[in-house]
Amino acid sequence: MDKIESHFLYPAALFASKKPHQINTILGSCVAVCIWDKTLNYGGMCHYMLPYWNGEGLASPKYGNIAIDKLIEKMYSFGSERISLVAKVFGGGEVIDFKNPQFHIGKRNIKLASEMLNERKINIISSSLGGKLGRKIIFNTHSGEVKQKYVQRQINDFSSDSEE
Amino acid sequence: MSDFTDKELIDELKKRFEQNKQALKEVQELNLELREVNQKLEESESLKSHFISNITNEIINPFASILALSKNILSVEKENWKKVISMVSLIYSEAFDLDFQLRNIFVAAKLEAGEIFPEIVNVDVKQLIDSLIESFKYDTKKRKITITSNFNIQVKSNQSYFFKTDPEKLKLILSNLLSNSVKFSKNESNIDINVSLENSNIVIAVQDFGAGISSQNQKIIFDRFKRLDSGINSLHRGHGLGLSINKALLDLLGGSIDIQSKLDQGACFTISIPENESEVSGFAFDGNDLFFDDDESFSKDVESF
Repeated sequence: MDKIESHFLYPAALFASKKPHQINTILGSCVAVCIWDKTLNYGGMCHYMLPYWNGEGLASPKYGNIAIDKLIEKMYSFGSERISLVAKVFGGGEVIDFKNPQFHIGKRNIKLASEMLNERKINIISSSLGGKLGRKIIFNTHSGEVKQKYVQRQINDFSSDSEE
Repeated sequence: MSDFTDKELIDELKKRFEQNKQALKEVQELNLELREVNQKLEESESLKSHFISNITNEIINPFASILALSKNILSVEKENWKKVISMVSLIYSEAFDLDFQLRNIFVAAKLEAGEIFPEIVNVDVKQLIDSLIESFKYDTKKRKITITSNFNIQVKSNQSYFFKTDPEKLKLILSNLLSNSVKFSKNESNIDINVSLENSNIVIAVQDFGAGISSQNQKIIFDRFKRLDSGINSLHRGHGLGLSINKALLDLLGGSIDIQSKLDQGACFTISIPENESEVSGFAFDGNDLFFDDDESFSKDVESF
Protein backbone atom coordinates (compact mmCIF):
# COMPACT_ATOMS: atom_id res chain seq x y z
CA MET A 1 0.00 0.00 0.00
CA ASP A 2 1.22 3.48 -0.76
CA LYS A 3 2.47 5.56 2.09
CA ILE A 4 -0.05 8.32 2.67
CA GLU A 5 1.03 11.93 2.77
CA SER A 6 1.33 13.57 6.12
CA HIS A 7 0.60 17.16 7.02
CA PHE A 8 1.55 18.99 10.19
CA LEU A 9 -1.24 21.32 11.21
CA TYR A 10 -0.06 24.51 12.89
CA PRO A 11 -2.17 26.39 15.39
CA ALA A 12 -4.63 28.75 13.69
CA ALA A 13 -4.50 26.66 10.54
CA LEU A 14 -6.97 24.45 8.77
CA PHE A 15 -6.46 21.53 6.44
CA ALA A 16 -8.84 19.39 4.42
CA SER A 17 -8.27 17.28 1.35
CA LYS A 18 -10.06 14.68 -0.71
CA LYS A 19 -6.82 12.72 -0.95
CA PRO A 20 -5.95 10.49 1.97
CA HIS A 21 -3.73 12.30 4.44
CA GLN A 22 -2.37 11.84 7.87
CA ILE A 23 -2.81 15.12 9.75
CA ASN A 24 -0.67 15.64 12.84
CA THR A 25 -1.01 18.33 15.44
CA ILE A 26 -0.12 19.14 19.02
CA LEU A 27 -2.68 20.63 21.40
CA GLY A 28 -2.57 22.41 24.72
CA SER A 29 -5.59 24.51 25.55
CA CYS A 30 -6.28 24.65 21.81
CA VAL A 31 -9.00 22.47 20.37
CA ALA A 32 -8.79 20.43 17.19
CA VAL A 33 -12.01 19.51 15.39
CA CYS A 34 -11.72 16.63 12.91
CA ILE A 35 -14.56 16.33 10.45
CA TRP A 36 -14.88 13.14 8.48
CA ASP A 37 -17.16 12.19 5.63
CA LYS A 38 -18.10 8.60 6.41
CA THR A 39 -19.52 7.83 2.96
CA LEU A 40 -16.86 9.49 0.80
CA ASN A 41 -13.96 8.65 3.15
CA TYR A 42 -12.06 11.88 3.47
CA GLY A 43 -11.81 14.64 6.01
CA GLY A 44 -10.17 17.69 7.45
CA MET A 45 -9.09 19.24 10.68
CA CYS A 46 -8.92 22.70 12.19
CA HIS A 47 -6.86 23.78 15.17
CA TYR A 48 -8.08 26.88 16.95
CA MET A 49 -6.64 28.75 19.89
CA LEU A 50 -9.46 30.94 21.13
CA PRO A 51 -13.24 30.56 20.98
CA TYR A 52 -14.46 33.80 19.45
CA TRP A 53 -13.06 36.37 17.07
CA ASN A 54 -13.39 39.73 18.79
CA GLY A 55 -12.78 41.92 15.76
CA GLU A 56 -9.08 42.19 16.52
CA GLY A 57 -6.57 41.41 13.80
CA LEU A 58 -7.51 39.11 10.97
CA ALA A 59 -10.58 36.89 10.95
CA SER A 60 -8.41 33.78 10.83
CA PRO A 61 -9.08 30.20 11.95
CA LYS A 62 -7.21 31.07 15.12
CA TYR A 63 -10.73 31.58 16.42
CA GLY A 64 -13.11 28.65 16.83
CA ASN A 65 -16.25 30.30 15.51
CA ILE A 66 -14.43 31.05 12.26
CA ALA A 67 -12.39 27.84 12.02
CA ILE A 68 -15.28 25.42 12.45
CA ASP A 69 -17.48 27.14 9.89
CA LYS A 70 -14.63 27.36 7.39
CA LEU A 71 -13.87 23.67 7.80
CA ILE A 72 -17.50 22.65 7.32
CA GLU A 73 -17.77 24.95 4.31
CA LYS A 74 -14.70 23.33 2.82
CA MET A 75 -16.17 19.86 3.27
CA TYR A 76 -19.37 20.99 1.53
CA SER A 77 -17.33 22.48 -1.30
CA PHE A 78 -15.74 19.07 -1.84
CA GLY A 79 -19.24 17.66 -2.30
CA SER A 80 -20.03 16.32 1.15
CA GLU A 81 -23.59 16.06 2.45
CA ARG A 82 -24.31 17.15 5.97
CA ILE A 83 -25.88 13.79 6.79
CA SER A 84 -22.62 11.91 6.22
CA LEU A 85 -20.38 14.23 8.22
CA VAL A 86 -19.22 13.24 11.67
CA ALA A 87 -16.90 15.02 14.04
CA LYS A 88 -14.24 14.11 16.56
CA VAL A 89 -13.07 16.74 19.01
CA PHE A 90 -9.81 16.87 20.97
CA GLY A 91 -7.84 19.12 23.27
CA GLY A 92 -8.86 21.97 25.52
CA GLY A 93 -6.61 20.95 28.38
CA GLU A 94 -5.89 23.45 31.13
CA VAL A 95 -2.14 23.36 30.72
CA ILE A 96 -1.74 26.61 32.59
CA ASP A 97 -3.46 27.22 35.91
CA PHE A 98 -5.57 30.32 36.09
CA LYS A 99 -7.57 31.50 39.08
CA ASN A 100 -10.02 33.58 37.13
CA PRO A 101 -12.62 31.40 35.37
CA GLN A 102 -12.62 33.83 32.46
CA PHE A 103 -9.15 32.61 31.58
CA HIS A 104 -10.15 28.96 31.35
CA ILE A 105 -9.50 28.99 27.65
CA GLY A 106 -9.54 25.22 27.30
CA LYS A 107 -13.03 24.95 28.77
CA ARG A 108 -14.36 27.80 26.66
CA ASN A 109 -12.84 26.26 23.53
CA ILE A 110 -14.48 22.92 24.29
CA LYS A 111 -17.86 24.53 24.93
CA LEU A 112 -17.73 26.35 21.63
CA ALA A 113 -16.96 23.18 19.65
CA SER A 114 -19.86 21.22 21.10
CA GLU A 115 -22.28 24.13 20.73
CA MET A 116 -21.36 24.90 17.14
CA LEU A 117 -21.34 21.28 15.99
CA ASN A 118 -24.70 20.74 17.68
CA GLU A 119 -26.19 23.76 15.99
CA ARG A 120 -24.93 22.58 12.63
CA LYS A 121 -26.28 19.11 13.37
CA ILE A 122 -22.99 17.30 13.02
CA ASN A 123 -22.61 14.40 15.44
CA ILE A 124 -19.59 14.24 17.68
CA ILE A 125 -18.82 10.53 17.61
CA SER A 126 -15.80 10.63 19.84
CA SER A 127 -13.76 13.07 21.83
CA SER A 128 -11.02 13.45 24.37
CA LEU A 129 -11.23 16.77 26.11
CA GLY A 130 -10.02 18.72 29.10
CA GLY A 131 -7.59 17.48 31.67
CA LYS A 132 -4.24 18.97 32.50
CA LEU A 133 -2.08 17.46 29.79
CA GLY A 134 -1.30 18.37 26.22
CA ARG A 135 -2.13 16.00 23.39
CA LYS A 136 -0.57 14.79 20.21
CA ILE A 137 -3.16 13.90 17.59
CA ILE A 138 -2.87 11.92 14.37
CA PHE A 139 -5.93 11.92 12.11
CA ASN A 140 -6.10 9.54 9.18
CA THR A 141 -8.48 11.27 6.79
CA HIS A 142 -9.11 8.09 4.79
CA SER A 143 -10.20 5.79 7.61
CA GLY A 144 -11.44 8.54 9.92
CA GLU A 145 -9.31 7.02 12.63
CA VAL A 146 -7.69 9.32 15.19
CA LYS A 147 -4.77 8.36 17.38
CA GLN A 148 -3.96 10.32 20.50
CA LYS A 149 -1.01 10.48 22.82
CA TYR A 150 -0.75 12.58 25.98
CA VAL A 151 2.30 14.78 26.22
CA GLN A 152 3.84 16.57 29.17
CA ARG A 153 2.84 20.14 29.79
CA GLN A 154 5.98 21.95 28.68
CA ILE A 155 4.68 22.15 25.12
CA ASN A 156 4.49 25.57 23.53
CA ASP A 157 1.18 26.97 24.45
CA PHE A 158 0.40 29.45 21.76
CA SER A 159 -2.75 30.82 23.26
CA SER A 160 -1.35 32.11 26.50
CA ASP A 161 -0.38 35.52 25.19
CA SER A 162 -3.47 36.38 23.26
CA GLU A 163 -5.99 36.68 26.03
CA GLU A 164 -5.31 39.82 27.95
CA MET B 1 -26.68 24.29 63.12
CA SER B 2 -26.61 25.90 66.49
CA ASP B 3 -22.83 25.57 66.56
CA PHE B 4 -22.50 28.95 64.90
CA THR B 5 -22.09 31.99 67.02
CA ASP B 6 -23.68 35.22 65.90
CA LYS B 7 -20.32 36.62 64.97
CA GLU B 8 -19.54 33.66 62.73
CA LEU B 9 -22.88 34.00 61.05
CA ILE B 10 -22.34 37.66 60.39
CA ASP B 11 -18.86 37.01 59.06
CA GLU B 12 -20.20 34.33 56.74
CA LEU B 13 -22.95 36.64 55.52
CA LYS B 14 -20.44 39.39 54.94
CA LYS B 15 -18.26 37.03 52.96
CA ARG B 16 -21.14 35.93 50.75
CA PHE B 17 -22.23 39.48 50.26
CA GLU B 18 -18.71 40.35 49.16
CA GLN B 19 -18.71 37.42 46.74
CA ASN B 20 -22.00 38.52 45.25
CA LYS B 21 -20.69 41.99 44.79
CA GLN B 22 -17.61 40.61 43.12
CA ALA B 23 -19.70 38.44 40.78
CA LEU B 24 -21.90 41.36 39.87
CA LYS B 25 -18.86 43.44 39.07
CA GLU B 26 -17.50 40.70 36.85
CA VAL B 27 -20.77 40.41 34.99
CA GLN B 28 -20.81 44.15 34.44
CA GLU B 29 -17.29 44.06 33.13
CA LEU B 30 -18.12 41.21 30.81
CA ASN B 31 -21.14 43.10 29.55
CA LEU B 32 -19.01 46.09 28.78
CA GLU B 33 -16.53 43.91 26.95
CA LEU B 34 -19.33 42.33 24.97
CA ARG B 35 -20.59 45.74 23.89
CA GLU B 36 -17.10 46.72 22.77
CA VAL B 37 -16.66 43.52 20.79
CA ASN B 38 -20.04 44.00 19.19
CA GLN B 39 -19.11 47.46 18.10
CA LYS B 40 -15.82 46.24 16.75
CA LEU B 41 -17.46 43.54 14.69
CA GLU B 42 -19.91 46.01 13.22
CA GLU B 43 -17.06 48.34 12.37
CA SER B 44 -15.04 45.53 10.84
CA GLU B 45 -17.98 44.63 8.63
CA SER B 46 -18.33 48.16 7.32
CA LEU B 47 -14.57 48.54 6.88
CA LYS B 48 -14.64 45.38 4.83
CA SER B 49 -16.95 46.94 2.32
CA HIS B 50 -14.77 50.07 2.19
CA PHE B 51 -11.86 47.79 1.57
CA ILE B 52 -13.19 46.72 -1.81
CA SER B 53 -13.44 50.28 -3.06
CA ASN B 54 -10.11 51.16 -1.46
CA ILE B 55 -8.32 48.30 -3.02
CA THR B 56 -9.72 49.08 -6.42
CA ASN B 57 -7.88 52.38 -6.25
CA GLU B 58 -4.76 50.82 -4.85
CA ILE B 59 -4.53 48.42 -7.75
CA ILE B 60 -6.02 50.38 -10.61
CA ASN B 61 -4.05 53.58 -10.06
CA PRO B 62 -0.59 52.03 -10.17
CA PHE B 63 -1.64 49.92 -13.12
CA ALA B 64 -2.92 52.93 -14.98
CA SER B 65 0.37 54.76 -14.43
CA ILE B 66 2.39 51.76 -15.53
CA LEU B 67 0.31 51.45 -18.69
CA ALA B 68 0.51 55.14 -19.49
CA LEU B 69 4.24 55.33 -18.82
CA SER B 70 5.08 52.34 -20.94
CA LYS B 71 2.92 53.67 -23.73
CA ASN B 72 4.86 56.93 -23.56
CA ILE B 73 8.13 55.08 -23.71
CA LEU B 74 7.00 53.34 -26.87
CA SER B 75 6.43 56.69 -28.56
CA VAL B 76 9.60 58.41 -27.37
CA GLU B 77 11.76 59.79 -30.19
CA LYS B 78 15.22 58.36 -30.48
CA GLU B 79 16.99 61.58 -29.58
CA ASN B 80 15.03 61.89 -26.33
CA TRP B 81 16.11 58.51 -25.00
CA LYS B 82 17.29 60.04 -21.74
CA LYS B 83 13.69 60.67 -20.74
CA VAL B 84 13.15 56.93 -20.78
CA ILE B 85 15.36 56.38 -17.77
CA SER B 86 13.24 58.49 -15.46
CA MET B 87 10.07 56.91 -16.81
CA VAL B 88 11.42 53.44 -16.23
CA SER B 89 12.29 54.29 -12.66
CA LEU B 90 8.74 55.55 -12.18
CA ILE B 91 7.40 52.30 -13.61
CA TYR B 92 9.66 50.38 -11.26
CA SER B 93 8.43 52.34 -8.28
CA GLU B 94 4.77 51.79 -9.15
CA ALA B 95 5.33 48.11 -9.87
CA PHE B 96 7.23 47.69 -6.62
CA ASP B 97 4.38 49.22 -4.72
CA LEU B 98 1.82 47.08 -6.49
CA ASP B 99 3.81 43.93 -5.82
CA PHE B 100 4.03 44.82 -2.13
CA GLN B 101 0.29 45.50 -1.86
CA LEU B 102 -0.65 42.30 -3.65
CA ARG B 103 1.74 40.22 -1.54
CA ASN B 104 0.04 41.52 1.58
CA ILE B 105 -3.42 40.82 0.24
CA PHE B 106 -2.53 37.26 -0.74
CA VAL B 107 -0.93 36.56 2.61
CA ALA B 108 -3.97 38.00 4.40
CA ALA B 109 -6.24 35.75 2.33
CA LYS B 110 -4.07 32.74 3.14
CA LEU B 111 -4.04 33.62 6.83
CA GLU B 112 -7.80 33.97 6.92
CA ALA B 113 -8.14 30.62 5.16
CA GLY B 114 -5.72 29.05 7.65
CA GLU B 115 -3.53 27.81 4.85
CA ILE B 116 -0.22 29.27 5.86
CA PHE B 117 2.57 27.58 7.77
CA PRO B 118 6.16 28.48 8.61
CA GLU B 119 8.90 27.31 6.28
CA ILE B 120 12.00 27.42 8.39
CA VAL B 121 15.50 27.84 7.00
CA ASN B 122 18.71 29.51 8.18
CA VAL B 123 18.30 33.18 7.44
CA ASP B 124 21.07 35.72 7.08
CA VAL B 125 19.20 38.48 8.88
CA LYS B 126 21.70 41.22 8.13
CA GLN B 127 21.59 40.51 4.43
CA LEU B 128 17.80 40.38 4.52
CA ILE B 129 17.57 43.78 6.17
CA ASP B 130 20.15 45.32 3.84
CA SER B 131 18.31 44.13 0.75
CA LEU B 132 15.08 45.43 2.23
CA ILE B 133 16.54 48.90 2.79
CA GLU B 134 17.84 48.76 -0.76
CA SER B 135 14.36 47.99 -2.06
CA PHE B 136 12.95 51.14 -0.47
CA LYS B 137 15.75 53.22 -1.94
CA TYR B 138 13.64 54.84 -4.62
CA ASP B 139 11.17 56.27 -2.11
CA THR B 140 13.75 57.23 0.48
CA LYS B 141 16.04 58.90 -2.04
CA LYS B 142 13.24 60.98 -3.43
CA ARG B 143 12.26 62.22 0.02
CA LYS B 144 15.79 62.36 1.43
CA ILE B 145 15.09 59.87 4.20
CA THR B 146 18.08 58.02 5.61
CA ILE B 147 17.66 54.48 6.84
CA THR B 148 20.47 53.19 9.06
CA SER B 149 20.71 49.72 10.45
CA ASN B 150 22.68 48.72 13.54
CA PHE B 151 23.45 45.07 13.76
CA ASN B 152 24.32 44.38 17.38
CA ILE B 153 25.01 40.71 17.20
CA GLN B 154 28.57 39.51 17.65
CA VAL B 155 29.84 37.30 14.89
CA LYS B 156 33.31 36.26 13.89
CA SER B 157 34.71 38.35 11.10
CA ASN B 158 33.89 37.18 7.61
CA GLN B 159 31.06 35.09 8.90
CA SER B 160 27.38 35.71 8.54
CA TYR B 161 24.93 35.40 11.34
CA PHE B 162 22.22 32.85 10.66
CA PHE B 163 18.92 32.69 12.45
CA LYS B 164 16.40 29.87 12.03
CA THR B 165 13.10 31.34 10.96
CA ASP B 166 10.86 31.85 7.94
CA PRO B 167 12.56 34.39 5.63
CA GLU B 168 9.51 35.19 3.50
CA LYS B 169 7.36 35.97 6.52
CA LEU B 170 10.10 37.91 8.30
CA LYS B 171 10.65 39.91 5.16
CA LEU B 172 7.00 40.80 4.82
CA ILE B 173 6.76 41.75 8.50
CA LEU B 174 9.76 44.06 8.17
CA SER B 175 8.55 45.44 4.83
CA ASN B 176 5.29 46.42 6.46
CA LEU B 177 7.04 48.14 9.34
CA LEU B 178 9.51 49.90 7.09
CA SER B 179 6.85 50.92 4.59
CA ASN B 180 4.82 52.49 7.41
CA SER B 181 7.88 54.26 8.78
CA VAL B 182 8.78 55.68 5.40
CA LYS B 183 5.18 56.66 4.74
CA PHE B 184 4.80 58.58 7.98
CA SER B 185 8.28 60.09 8.17
CA LYS B 186 8.93 63.70 7.37
CA ASN B 187 11.18 64.52 4.46
CA GLU B 188 14.87 64.62 5.31
CA SER B 189 14.53 62.56 8.47
CA ASN B 190 16.02 59.33 9.73
CA ILE B 191 14.78 55.81 10.30
CA ASP B 192 16.81 53.56 12.58
CA ILE B 193 16.74 49.79 12.53
CA ASN B 194 18.26 48.03 15.52
CA VAL B 195 18.92 44.31 15.58
CA SER B 196 19.92 42.46 18.72
CA LEU B 197 19.61 39.14 20.49
CA GLU B 198 17.77 38.73 23.80
CA ASN B 199 17.54 35.26 25.33
CA SER B 200 17.93 33.69 21.90
CA ASN B 201 15.08 35.81 20.55
CA ILE B 202 15.95 38.07 17.69
CA VAL B 203 14.75 41.59 18.46
CA ILE B 204 14.36 44.07 15.64
CA ALA B 205 13.29 47.63 16.34
CA VAL B 206 12.23 50.08 13.62
CA GLN B 207 12.26 53.65 14.85
CA ASP B 208 11.03 56.62 12.88
CA PHE B 209 10.68 60.29 13.77
CA GLY B 210 7.48 61.03 11.95
CA ALA B 211 3.82 61.47 12.75
CA GLY B 212 3.63 59.11 15.72
CA ILE B 213 0.54 57.38 17.06
CA SER B 214 -1.55 58.46 20.02
CA SER B 215 -1.97 55.92 22.81
CA GLN B 216 -5.67 55.72 22.01
CA ASN B 217 -4.95 54.77 18.42
CA GLN B 218 -2.29 52.29 19.42
CA LYS B 219 -5.05 49.94 20.49
CA ILE B 220 -6.73 49.78 17.13
CA ILE B 221 -3.88 49.80 14.64
CA PHE B 222 -3.72 46.01 14.63
CA ASP B 223 -7.35 45.67 13.53
CA ARG B 224 -7.76 44.72 9.95
CA PHE B 225 -8.57 47.36 7.33
CA LYS B 226 -8.02 50.02 9.95
CA ARG B 227 -6.32 53.14 8.64
CA LEU B 228 -5.84 56.08 10.89
CA ASP B 229 -6.22 58.60 8.12
CA SER B 230 -8.68 57.01 5.78
CA GLY B 231 -10.96 59.06 3.64
CA ILE B 232 -10.83 60.38 0.16
CA ASN B 233 -8.23 63.05 0.81
CA SER B 234 -5.81 60.72 2.50
CA LEU B 235 -2.22 61.51 1.63
CA HIS B 236 -1.06 58.02 2.34
CA ARG B 237 -1.70 54.96 0.33
CA GLY B 238 -2.39 51.61 1.84
CA HIS B 239 -5.03 49.07 2.56
CA GLY B 240 -4.91 48.93 6.34
CA LEU B 241 -3.84 45.30 6.40
CA GLY B 242 -0.13 45.57 7.14
CA LEU B 243 -0.11 45.52 10.92
CA SER B 244 -2.89 42.98 11.28
CA ILE B 245 -0.91 40.72 8.96
CA ASN B 246 2.21 41.34 11.01
CA LYS B 247 0.40 40.32 14.17
CA ALA B 248 -0.88 37.10 12.62
CA LEU B 249 2.47 36.24 11.06
CA LEU B 250 4.25 36.84 14.35
CA ASP B 251 1.74 34.54 16.04
CA LEU B 252 2.73 31.92 13.50
CA LEU B 253 6.42 32.36 14.26
CA GLY B 254 5.78 32.48 18.01
CA GLY B 255 6.90 36.10 18.21
CA SER B 256 5.44 39.34 19.48
CA ILE B 257 5.20 42.99 18.51
CA ASP B 258 5.42 46.03 20.70
CA ILE B 259 4.90 49.70 19.99
CA GLN B 260 6.20 52.81 21.67
CA SER B 261 5.02 56.11 20.35
CA LYS B 262 3.72 59.54 21.15
CA LEU B 263 1.81 61.76 18.80
CA ASP B 264 4.16 63.88 16.66
CA GLN B 265 7.21 62.25 18.19
CA GLY B 266 7.71 59.27 15.93
CA ALA B 267 7.03 55.62 16.56
CA CYS B 268 9.14 52.63 17.43
CA PHE B 269 7.88 49.17 16.53
CA THR B 270 9.80 46.30 18.09
CA ILE B 271 9.37 42.71 17.05
CA SER B 272 10.79 39.74 18.90
CA ILE B 273 10.96 36.27 17.39
CA PRO B 274 12.27 33.11 19.08
CA GLU B 275 14.63 30.97 17.09
CA ASN B 276 12.89 27.97 15.63
CA GLU B 277 14.11 24.77 17.24
CA SER B 278 13.65 22.42 14.36
CA GLU B 279 16.59 20.97 12.49
CA VAL B 280 16.98 22.75 9.20
CA SER B 281 19.53 22.53 6.48
CA GLY B 282 18.40 25.09 3.92
CA PHE B 283 19.75 28.59 3.69
CA ALA B 284 18.20 31.84 2.57
CA PHE B 285 20.15 35.02 2.18
CA ASP B 286 17.65 37.70 1.47
CA GLY B 287 14.35 35.90 1.46
CA ASN B 288 14.43 35.43 -2.27
CA ASP B 289 14.19 31.68 -2.20
CA LEU B 290 17.88 31.10 -2.53
CA PHE B 291 18.18 27.65 -1.03
CA PHE B 292 21.22 25.48 -0.69
CA ASP B 293 21.62 21.95 0.41
CA ASP B 294 23.59 21.51 3.57
CA ASP B 295 26.22 19.09 2.36
CA GLU B 296 27.06 21.06 -0.72
CA SER B 297 27.39 24.58 0.49
CA PHE B 298 28.10 24.79 4.18
CA SER B 299 30.94 23.19 5.97
CA LYS B 300 32.99 24.43 8.88
CA ASP B 301 36.24 24.63 6.97
CA VAL B 302 35.52 27.67 4.91
CA GLU B 303 34.94 26.85 1.32
CA SER B 304 34.06 29.56 -1.08
CA PHE B 305 30.79 29.17 -2.87
